Amino acid sequence: MIFDELRAIQLRCGYLPKAELEALSERTQTPLYQLHSVASFYPHFHLAPPAKAEVRVCDDMSCHLNGSCELRAELHRRFAGQRPDDLQMKNVSCLGRCDQAPAVAVNDEIFVHVNADRVEELARLAMHGDHPRAEHPHVPRVACASDPYGDGEKYGVLRRLVGSRDWDAVLALLKEAELRGMGGAGFPTSMKWDLVRKQSDPVKYIVCNADESEPGTIKDRFIISHLPHLVIEGMVIAGLVTGAKKGIFYIRHEYPLQEEIFGEELRRCAKSGMLGKKILGSDLDFELEVFVSPGGYICGEESALIEAIEGHRAEPRNKPPFPGQLGLWQKPTVINNVETFANVPQILARGVEWFKSAGVGGSRGLKFVGVSGQVEHPGVFEVPMGTSMSDVIFGHAGGIRGGKKLKAFAPSGPSSGYLPASLVDVKLDFKALADVGSMLGSGAIVVCDETTCMLDMALNSTKFYRNESCGKCVPCRMGSQKMVELITRWTQGGLSDSQFAADLQLVEDLSAAMSQTSICGLGQIVPAPIQSVLKHFRAEVEAHVFKGQCPSGICFSAANRLAELPRVGIRP
Amino acid sequence: MTPAGLIELTIDGKAVQVPPGTTVFDAARMNGISIPTLCHLQSQTPVGVCRLCVVDTGARVLGAACVRPVEPGMKVQTNSEKVLAARKTLLELLMADHPSPCARQRHSGDCELETLAKQAGIAASRFPRRTISRGQDDSSLAIAVDHDACILCDRCIRGCDEIKSNFVLGRMGKGYSADIAFDLNAPMGDSTCISCGECMVSCPTGALTNKGVAGTALAAGPDAALTAEELHKLPVFAGVSGTFLDLNRGAIVRRRFRKGDVICREGDFGSTAFFILEGKAQVSISAPIAHVKTAGGALGFFKRLTSSLVGREQDNRAEEAHDRTIPIDASVDLAYGNPVAELGPGDLFGEMTCMNFYPRSATVRAETDVVAYEMLRNVLDIMQKNKTFRAQIDQNYRRRALENHLLGVPMFAELSPDFIEHLRESVELVRYAPGQVIARQGDPADSFYLVRIGFVKITEEYPGGELVLAYLSRGDYFGEIGLLGGGFRTATCTALDHVEVVKISGDDFRHMVARYPNIRAGLEKVAAERRAANEQRLQMLENVPLDQFLSQGLMEAQSLLILDLQNCTRCDACVNACADAHDGVTRLVRDGLRFENYLVATSCRQCRDPLCMVGCPVGSIRRRNSLEVIIEDWCIGCGLCARNCPYGNINLHPFEVLGDDPEHFGRKKAVVKQKATSCDLCTHLKEPSCVYACPHDAAHRVDPRKFFGQMLGPGGCR
Repeated sequence: MIFDELRAIQLRCGYLPKAELEALSERTQTPLYQLHSVASFYPHFHLAPPAKAEVRVCDDMSCHLNGSCELRAELHRRFAGQRPDDLQMKNVSCLGRCDQAPAVAVNDEIFVHVNADRVEELARLAMHGDHPRAEHPHVPRVACASDPYGDGEKYGVLRRLVGSRDWDAVLALLKEAELRGMGGAGFPTSMKWDLVRKQSDPVKYIVCNADESEPGTIKDRFIISHLPHLVIEGMVIAGLVTGAKKGIFYIRHEYPLQEEIFGEELRRCAKSGMLGKKILGSDLDFELEVFVSPGGYICGEESALIEAIEGHRAEPRNKPPFPGQLGLWQKPTVINNVETFANVPQILARGVEWFKSAGVGGSRGLKFVGVSGQVEHPGVFEVPMGTSMSDVIFGHAGGIRGGKKLKAFAPSGPSSGYLPASLVDVKLDFKALADVGSMLGSGAIVVCDETTCMLDMALNSTKFYRNESCGKCVPCRMGSQKMVELITRWTQGGLSDSQFAADLQLVEDLSAAMSQTSICGLGQIVPAPIQSVLKHFRAEVEAHVFKGQCPSGICFSAANRLAELPRVGIRP
Repeated sequence: MTPAGLIELTIDGKAVQVPPGTTVFDAARMNGISIPTLCHLQSQTPVGVCRLCVVDTGARVLGAACVRPVEPGMKVQTNSEKVLAARKTLLELLMADHPSPCARQRHSGDCELETLAKQAGIAASRFPRRTISRGQDDSSLAIAVDHDACILCDRCIRGCDEIKSNFVLGRMGKGYSADIAFDLNAPMGDSTCISCGECMVSCPTGALTNKGVAGTALAAGPDAALTAEELHKLPVFAGVSGTFLDLNRGAIVRRRFRKGDVICREGDFGSTAFFILEGKAQVSISAPIAHVKTAGGALGFFKRLTSSLVGREQDNRAEEAHDRTIPIDASVDLAYGNPVAELGPGDLFGEMTCMNFYPRSATVRAETDVVAYEMLRNVLDIMQKNKTFRAQIDQNYRRRALENHLLGVPMFAELSPDFIEHLRESVELVRYAPGQVIARQGDPADSFYLVRIGFVKITEEYPGGELVLAYLSRGDYFGEIGLLGGGFRTATCTALDHVEVVKISGDDFRHMVARYPNIRAGLEKVAAERRAANEQRLQMLENVPLDQFLSQGLMEAQSLLILDLQNCTRCDACVNACADAHDGVTRLVRDGLRFENYLVATSCRQCRDPLCMVGCPVGSIRRRNSLEVIIEDWCIGCGLCARNCPYGNINLHPFEVLGDDPEHFGRKKAVVKQKATSCDLCTHLKEPSCVYACPHDAAHRVDPRKFFGQMLGPGGCR
């Protein structure tokens, strides 16, 4: 595999030297350009020798709300004059530590709850040739209401199914339960599985998408840590139902601890005959392996994820055909989110009635949500579907930090846009959130207190998409950049009525073109943050534009005006 | 009724029937409905990245017609308001960053993006423009790359991969920073690109355009022009895109020369190379093989002295080269004593002139009737990138010139035939593009190089800068210091223009010096001399001069003629003395840069970076270890060095000699030939004539560092 080869070179040389790539090209008969186009796509690979200390500061939503701008400005000041081969500071996209913000990566090791002193200390260690390692305090497994097994024997559903082989019943139950995808799009799971089951191709794949990378999204990290057996059981069941004999667990490379926990559970399963050839002594086979993502939010898009596994640039495919028809290696493929797979044994173990009753107000099942931003107790919580947002924010997450007031919240990271405090009673449910013009998405609730500037947050979210656009199609590649430029112009004020009116029309046209013509969900959702802010916080936008004032005192501040740091993976 | 095996759908209200698997784009096209696109070409697999062909199929979002297969009962709208508005915005996005009019639009008015934008009524994009250029790549001789005009439609990539199977081009980076790149992001000219032109033909905009050679379409007789079809029949052009050949039609012609015709003349400027198909030609140098010698005694300065042309037999100068061959721009070398050789079918000559626009190095005359291709450098480039052709040319070189080339270096004269035979097979012929580093100071030394074509700049880094140690040209060699010494490169060797070197591996080199102790001794001697000279030069640089000093380029000089303006009465006695000392041709002009009250007269400054040496077609200008410029006997008087000298210090000295009569082949007549000369510091005299002649003690020849250093006082020269 190309990534394994590239990783081996990088491990040996610290980066990918030209001569090594030329030798690899010769040895594997891979054109040079293919190696380069892949290596230059993923932030994980260095094409030039890295600095002794590579400091990467996350500035996405939750970290942004927790002072990453000021941190960055302070580090900039402290590191001024450092030689570029000693230290390089760059921005990095969400590291998946939103509940422990702000987070930085020093030489690919992630550190949380940092301040300038800590980062400086780490950077100096790295510059002296040390390899500062993050500590992973042992966190005991949390007992979850979702776990049908508790302390008892696990994999009961799988044992039962291997005996009964009633695959149709599994599909019927999932259909009756109306289980929907938990990764963001909410596609009915039974339909996806049924499509793959009906394909005549003898080779099929099951892929678990554990590449959650959207700012605020940390729930899969929690599920993998505490319920890995449910994920594995769900994947094996998917394989048995659809006839796939191979599964791939695609995990983001920023989750080394979860990779370890999952790997341990895998080994346990293989030992006890739950996986591999002849599952539990039957004639059923299912192999499961882990694939570590070479990085990038776009890899979470299902067809881009497939491209990444195949060793290509993670560029989403045109659809149709869907992965269910032609997926990994052009074979029928089920791709589901971690939480979706974990839901399957819950439903099969406890029945549809339990699933229906687990939610409140007509919603179904339990939901893991990540709450981050300006709350007292950021973290991942297991709540009944249909719980009101205010119960989550003020109950589970302990309310707004420092006794401040709630100003806005994003129900699911940048894709859901921002809702004002007045809508805080909205239910955590597919339909309820869609009705207020937002979405349940992946349950990444990001909370903004009264000191937040919403135009700044819209810009921050849009920049995230711009940075993570793969660049394959015109609307997303060009549009995300132009959107950032237009919003930036607004944050700088000094526009006339007619200029702003023209800009608004332009944003309107651009939004329509992006959401209508982009190949994948990333490009289609780029307009969401600014559209939501224009809808709910128009006066705040106009204060910037016409009066040159940021009501929250953020947009014209020195920290914010600091030139944007070069992005990882994006050449200056 | 839909016929069996067909799918019926509606496009813009019109019911159409097409086979399953047809794309919406094709279904529309087959039914006379055209959908705009930028990334789709009929000959390539559709990729659906430009999104201009989006259509409304009633789904949640619009779909790209080029990749959307038809479905029974589908209702497609190709030009609804929603579709048109989206397309217009996409065009505006692209136009915001497009360098309009791009190269394609300027040259042929057919940039597809600009055409579509115009059709959509877009006068100016409402979006902010890109602020930072994505760069241009001028390294290919045949194709110009303008990344700013690239819309990442991937047509070039598919042309290179799918159509030509060359696999050179791909996308690099991601998002808004994505670009196309060759190999590992190499300049196109240095990449494995074979200049087939398919990418350029596929490109919808001015991102990849045909360079041609501006304004130099070859004049040709009625039957000389070659059509693209004729060219395609030649094996060397087999893999090249027809459109590309068509665009380069005027850049190659078939020429017929009658016996006695001059094909090209030494010293002439040109831009073409020749490839002989039939017949024989004689290559020779008609300028006298001699240098300018000023005769006169050490006494009597006001006596008129005379300059004359003398060869090395009569006047052996210090440090003069003792090469027995004269390198020329062909696959043969000429002998010092008898500079004549023969060229025949399969021989390519004029490469240096064609690639680097240097003057012709020799005169080629048809010995029999000759048929040859004459080509401009874009076509030569295509031919040279053809593996078979290259192999043939290389083989020619190995067979005919390598031996001369090696034996031409006096030190290698004792190489035995069997060893030369071994080298013939084992050496590598390597090409470098302008600016490419051949060996870097500090890197391990692993080979020895002999320059075959072009100029190699040898530089040494020292704290705060770099010093040009030498410019090496054809016949020169380098790399021995590293191999004989510490095993590391002591200087950086960079290709100054299109360079080709004969690379002898470290093993072969070690084998050679072990077997031939005299060669070892000779090389060690030269290496020691070079090292000493380099050190000497570096020592001179220890004091870094003042800004003004630098800006006037005075510190470039090792030795200056200065005139003290307080004493100078502008009597021009120095100029006259110089003219008197040099046959009436002065090498001194009493004009130049001023520094304080000194005029720095224009006379050879013996620069640290001697630009005069770059491009001499026969390698006859070089410098001694004393840094003084020496012009070797085989100067052909083309005058390139005089033009290259930034200070106007090299002059051409005309002589009347008996030469070939251009009108009558085989006859001789008196013709005027020129020889380059520069200030020789009147080395034949005790003191330069100009300094001696000055009646006011205003003229001095000084070392600038010492002189100005004293003048500026301590700290003046940091």
